[in-house]
Amino acid sequence: MYTLLIVQLAVSGALMGMVYALIAYGFQLTFATSKSINFGQGELVMLSAFFSLTLIDRGLPYWLVVPGGMLFGAVLGLFVERAAVRLSLEQKGEGWILLTIILGLLGFSAAENIWGRDDRPFPTPISSDPLHFFGIDVTPLELSVAIGVLAVMGLVELFKRKTLLGKAFEAVSADRDAAQLMGISATRTIQLSYGLSGLVAALAGILVAPITTVGPTMASVLILKAFSVAVVAGLDSGFGIVLVGLFLGALESLTSFYLGSGWREAPGLILLILALAVRPNGVFGKASIRKV
Amino acid sequence: MLTVENLHAGYGTSEVLVGVSLEVKAGTVVALIGANGAGKTTTMRAISGMIRPNRGRVLLDGRPVQDQDAAHIARLGLAHSPEGRKVFGPLTVEDNLLLGAYGRLPRFFGFRAQAAADLKNIYALFPRLEERRQQTAGTLSGGEQQMLAIGRALMSKPKVMLLDEPSMGLAPIIVQEVFHTIRRLKETGITLLLVEQFAKSALEVADYAYVMDRGRIAIEGTPAHLREDERVLAAYLG
Repeated sequence: MYTLLIVQLAVSGALMGMVYALIAYGFQLTFATSKSINFGQGELVMLSAFFSLTLIDRGLPYWLVVPGGMLFGAVLGLFVERAAVRLSLEQKGEGWILLTIILGLLGFSAAENIWGRDDRPFPTPISSDPLHFFGIDVTPLELSVAIGVLAVMGLVELFKRKTLLGKAFEAVSADRDAAQLMGISATRTIQLSYGLSGLVAALAGILVAPITTVGPTMASVLILKAFSVAVVAGLDSGFGIVLVGLFLGALESLTSFYLGSGWREAPGLILLILALAVRPNGVFGKASIRKV
Repeated sequence: MLTVENLHAGYGTSEVLVGVSLEVKAGTVVALIGANGAGKTTTMRAISGMIRPNRGRVLLDGRPVQDQDAAHIARLGLAHSPEGRKVFGPLTVEDNLLLGAYGRLPRFFGFRAQAAADLKNIYALFPRLEERRQQTAGTLSGGEQQMLAIGRALMSKPKVMLLDEPSMGLAPIIVQEVFHTIRRLKETGITLLLVEQFAKSALEVADYAYVMDRGRIAIEGTPAHLREDERVLAAYLG
């Protein structure tokens, strides 16, 4: 009975961990092409969730709200690239760090002004009545998170491997200068990666919103965990982030059960510190070796 | 086909090229030789848009391109196979070749079918690449990577090809193979600007040659003419 409880906690936690993995995947997408990430990604998640909630308030059916919210996230991603990243990359500077943080703060203020400071429930047609698998309860809502995450990551990976545009994406990651010599515009590719990153981050927000509710601060903790996952797995590790996401989610759930919910955020931070100290390229990451 | 007029370029505030002029006529192989640091690679980079020239003009098929970025110049028909080969290591040999034709293939679907005939030509030229088409390019030997870099540049069906130090870091027997390939490409009527440290081999394959020294063209002429020039003999062919 006791083992079952542990497994139950681990499974529920792991399914939440998939959300961290999806946001971390968004970090990977832009890091691969541009070696930059959006430090305001949490606000992008939150704004997309609010936007989706507004669509629901307007009476749109759920199956239209999801792509609508994702599209909104993609547009935000494109905006971040244009407003905060492009110029700084052209100058080979690090200005994007500060600029993306600032855009995030602006997004936060905007959300407070437009939608208010209160957390609001996010209605969903997906049921929260648990299903039983071998004595473990899993809600369809939790399952929808896992399925949504794997589906969108799978689609993006298919795009990268099967289309020429996707291969160009990988070429820019591998060698930006050489890619340009093939006629591949690095700027366009980086733009696209930010759009995709916004798209997957928005989906993360939509999937997690019914569980966490929607409010200006909904993503502040989420993004920290996503960042831990990205760093622990390695920013270039592909599906390694899913494993780390599952692991961190399960660990959190168990920690908050055994040590109290106040300790819930501890494992993510401890993992982050450990990873930076021991394996800065990530558990699944490749050490960057420069051949001369 | 390619005309460079009074090109000035460099990195930051230091100017490496101080007025380079050269011409590559259609269907000819032109060699650019000179000592290390003379500015050969910088010339190539300035032509293909990897660095923006400070002054001067680059005409590709009569059209000024010196203000365009590298990706745009590539799509206008200039293929630059850069120093150090720069193949896409994590991608397969075939994907590398397909990306060579990026500018003229559909972005999403059907690109493989459309590129099939061109791939076949490249594989005919480099059978080794066909054997290794599903291998990642990073696992190839230096010589194979050079073949891939040339093949990738050819895939774009360029009007002009720039080939920078194809023999760099290769064993002598592989260098011979590379020059054999260049000779075969010449028979197909390619327009080629070749930078090479092996001046002797380069002059054997070239129709015309330029010798660079400290950021400018010091001597030019046909290979026969240069071979008799004492300065060239002393410095590069001795």
